[in-house]
Amino acid sequence: MQAQLEAQAVLDDAGARVRTSAQSYFTIFVGSEIFGISVQDTQTIFRVQKVTPIPHAPKDIVGLVNIRGKIVTAVSLRRRLRIEDVENFENALAIGMEHKGENFALMVDQVGDVLSLDESMKIPTPPHFDPIRASLMSGLYRVNDLLIPVLGIGAVFDFTK
Amino acid sequence: MDELLRDFLVETTEHIEGAENQLVQFERDPSDASLIASIFRLVHTIKGTSSFLGLNRLQDIAHGAETLISELRDGAPPTERTVSLILAAIDRIKGLIEEIEEHGGEPEGDDSELVGRIAEHAQSFSEEAQAAAAPAPAVEAQPAHDEHESDHDDEDDDHEAPAAAAKPAKAPSQPQESSSAKSGGQANAGGKKAEGGNGQETIRVTVDTIERIMQLVSELVLTRNQLLELTRNREEDAVKAPLQRLSTVTSDLQDAVMRARMQPVGRLYSSLPRLIRELSSELGKKIDLITEGADTELDRQLIDVIRDPMTHLIRNCADHGIERPDERVAAGKPETGTIRVSASHEAGQITIDIADDGKGLDLDRIKAKILANGIATEAGLAAMSTQEIYQQIFEPGFSTAANITNVSGRGVGMDVVKSNIESIGGSVSLSSAPGAGSRFSLRIPLTLAIAPALIVVVGDQRFALPQHAVVEAVGIGGQSPHKIEKLQNSLVLKLREQVIPVVTLRSVLGMEEDNSDRDTLVVIMRVGSQTIGVIVDDVADVQEIVVKPLSATIAHLSIFTGHTILGDGSVVLIIDPAGVAVSLGIEKVAERKQDAVREVTQRSETARYVLFRAGGGASKILPLSLVGRIESVEQDRIEDANGQYVMQHQGRLMPLVPASPAVDVTSRAVTPALIISIGARTLGLLVDEIIDIFEGTLDIQLDNPSADIIGTSVVKGHAVELVDVAYYLQSAFPEPDRRSLTHGARLLVVSRDKYATDVLCPTLSAAGFNVSVRGDAQAAKLLLQEGGGEIQLVLADLEEPGINLKGIADACQAAGHGARLIGLDGETSGSRHHSAAHLMADRINKFDRNSILHILSGMTAADDSQSLALAS
Repeated sequence: MQAQLEAQAVLDDAGARVRTSAQSYFTIFVGSEIFGISVQDTQTIFRVQKVTPIPHAPKDIVGLVNIRGKIVTAVSLRRRLRIEDVENFENALAIGMEHKGENFALMVDQVGDVLSLDESMKIPTPPHFDPIRASLMSGLYRVNDLLIPVLGIGAVFDFTK
Repeated sequence: MDELLRDFLVETTEHIEGAENQLVQFERDPSDASLIASIFRLVHTIKGTSSFLGLNRLQDIAHGAETLISELRDGAPPTERTVSLILAAIDRIKGLIEEIEEHGGEPEGDDSELVGRIAEHAQSFSEEAQAAAAPAPAVEAQPAHDEHESDHDDEDDDHEAPAAAAKPAKAPSQPQESSSAKSGGQANAGGKKAEGGNGQETIRVTVDTIERIMQLVSELVLTRNQLLELTRNREEDAVKAPLQRLSTVTSDLQDAVMRARMQPVGRLYSSLPRLIRELSSELGKKIDLITEGADTELDRQLIDVIRDPMTHLIRNCADHGIERPDERVAAGKPETGTIRVSASHEAGQITIDIADDGKGLDLDRIKAKILANGIATEAGLAAMSTQEIYQQIFEPGFSTAANITNVSGRGVGMDVVKSNIESIGGSVSLSSAPGAGSRFSLRIPLTLAIAPALIVVVGDQRFALPQHAVVEAVGIGGQSPHKIEKLQNSLVLKLREQVIPVVTLRSVLGMEEDNSDRDTLVVIMRVGSQTIGVIVDDVADVQEIVVKPLSATIAHLSIFTGHTILGDGSVVLIIDPAGVAVSLGIEKVAERKQDAVREVTQRSETARYVLFRAGGGASKILPLSLVGRIESVEQDRIEDANGQYVMQHQGRLMPLVPASPAVDVTSRAVTPALIISIGARTLGLLVDEIIDIFEGTLDIQLDNPSADIIGTSVVKGHAVELVDVAYYLQSAFPEPDRRSLTHGARLLVVSRDKYATDVLCPTLSAAGFNVSVRGDAQAAKLLLQEGGGEIQLVLADLEEPGINLKGIADACQAAGHGARLIGLDGETSGSRHHSAAHLMADRINKFDRNSILHILSGMTAADDSQSLALAS
């Protein structure tokens, strides 16, 4: 009986936390920077084995990857942010995401914990923020003394600009 | 909507289409009793079921139609009026069916007008039948008489009067009186006489089901490939035998499903007879329809895309192509025009031809329109080939119709046709003979989702080439007898009789070139009517691949048509042969846009030039293609012979000519020289300094300030002079006697090829000929007429697509003195047998300068020696 009550308390607690407008985000690391990616947009996280380069494609598109029979477009977040490239892409960590019917693999250095961020933690993007990052972000959040930009999927995978 | 109604709608749609086709067929060949019986049955069924379902409007209309049809069945002639009324009823039924499909029930409406008209017409039959009953004996004599009448009385309407009187006899004599009775031809219209054809049972399956099966089969193929890959390296494996069987079954399954999606083109043909009938009456013309290749199969989706373009082209033929009956007779043609639609298969694509025997495309009208619309100037127009001019009709807003009819003429049709066809990867081309007719060809690729592909290796990457485009693979380098040669900055392969343009796959893909001497392979591919070669490092495999379309972000890359996963799991891009051809600069004739006016400026495409200084004044340039070598000549090699500088060069004495009197020859240790060879003559052009070799596109102004300069241009902001090699040749080889023989011999080159105008012609001028260039037969003809007999030789570029060799030959003859015609072969024309081959005095490869000069000199010398003889 006691155990049940305790369990219920934990659940209630968790429930309370979720009930606010908070959403879950993966923290990802690229170079020395940290970003947030909505968990909802994420399908899978995996390691890239082999990438087929695409001649004449935009540089940010690293190539094509086979994920369990599906051909997925691999995009390097480093290149997207104009950060210095890595040596090679073997075994790189990638996040499988879907956008407008197309399947992508966003390549990052590391994936960290899941954070819960809600509106109250959002702060306005300062005007002097690097324009490239600003264009790829959907918002800036403050967690304790960390500033975490959250990436906007639409912008990240939009290669027309 | 309940099941019964749904089934009824589906069936009725089928039946009513069948009835329509058969009716139009019957109109042409009323001797076929089974047709009318079938039509009757179909309409009768519709009447019965609609009555059962309580669809009153349908029932009434069907009943009316049935009455008229039964008259026909009883022997009444299918007059235009009768058939039109029945068709009107059919249309009304179709409309009602659509409404019921949408709303689940019959809409409110009043068909009494139509039903009334039908009833009235039906009435007239029974009245005439009574009248006919009386003068029965006289009827027997009629048929014989009527048969003779057919010669001059072909109006449909007149049938009504004699028809009523001679009803029983009419049926057999109809074919002769009917104006367009060609029983052979129109039988094709329906494809199969009985709907549902060969007695096979059919069932209905939704499109989604087929798509799903297709998808599953694709996955199966991929998995099978994986299994094959895994067991490939293992020898003794119990899995192998069953796997082999699995593989075979999978291939068969794949074939069967693909075929399920294919439908015969005949489906498109079914609506044509009625279309022709309507066009005929609307335009007042007599038109026959012949269809061929109805059982050529095409993917279901493609059929829908082709339907409208095909319909539009047919309307176009009927409206603009086929002349009115009186015009046709005046032109010596049969009164009835023919439109022929044929479909055929050709490795990887379907060709649908729509041809008519009308008056063909009016070239002058189109030209006038081009000028009027400001698409090109007079001069630009003169430079366009006939094909290019024809292709203009596919541009939006283009119409040469004097009147806009309901049928066509608004100028919105043709460009939509072209873009629709091109949107599925096809192409439209056309040919026409004035007075004889035109033919439009639609070429549509069969995009099979699973196709065999050649896996090639370039560097450390692999790519797939669709096998249907591959002709063969040729090894080059090392032991192989085949070699890649360089021709005017591009690569070619001489294979048997052909010269094939070749490109390295590396360069197409933007990869680093491989300069090692390694053995490589050339994959020969056919793209449309072009043959190209692609150099790869190796061919890894032939595999069946499932073509997956490119993801949206890379869909714009035209060299790829998709990607796939190979048996070993690696992702491989599929190359589009057409995209490679485009990057090779081989454009379809239709796309060739024209250049600016030639008369004022002489424009060169990117070419390489050597920039040098000779004397004071502006720097000079010379096309690098004329320069054999660049040498530094030591002082002691320069000798003086008879007031001319010479040097020993390759065992002969070669004249040295200073490019300018100011060039310092005597006091320098070393003088740079450009070694130039034209024909058998070689000279060294001495200059002060070689500044640079560059590649560029130059606009050359033909100012002709002095004899040694062709013109001026601007390079990197400075004025430069283009040197005239001919001038230097003359000063190096002053042979007045010889000169007077070939000097000024007039030549006409008919070509639009850059090579001809920028390299060949200057070479010929330098050799002493007086050269003119014209773009096509028309322009050539004009010049020959003006030339008044001066032109001795005409060189026609056989590579020119659509070149009118006969026209040029005729013009040569017509010019009076009989200029001789020589054909210039290029890269691919050499192996082609020309229908007008007998008209040519000779054929030379246009890149073979030495032969050309040799042969031409021989011919002109012969001519002149004759005229000299005559003169003396």
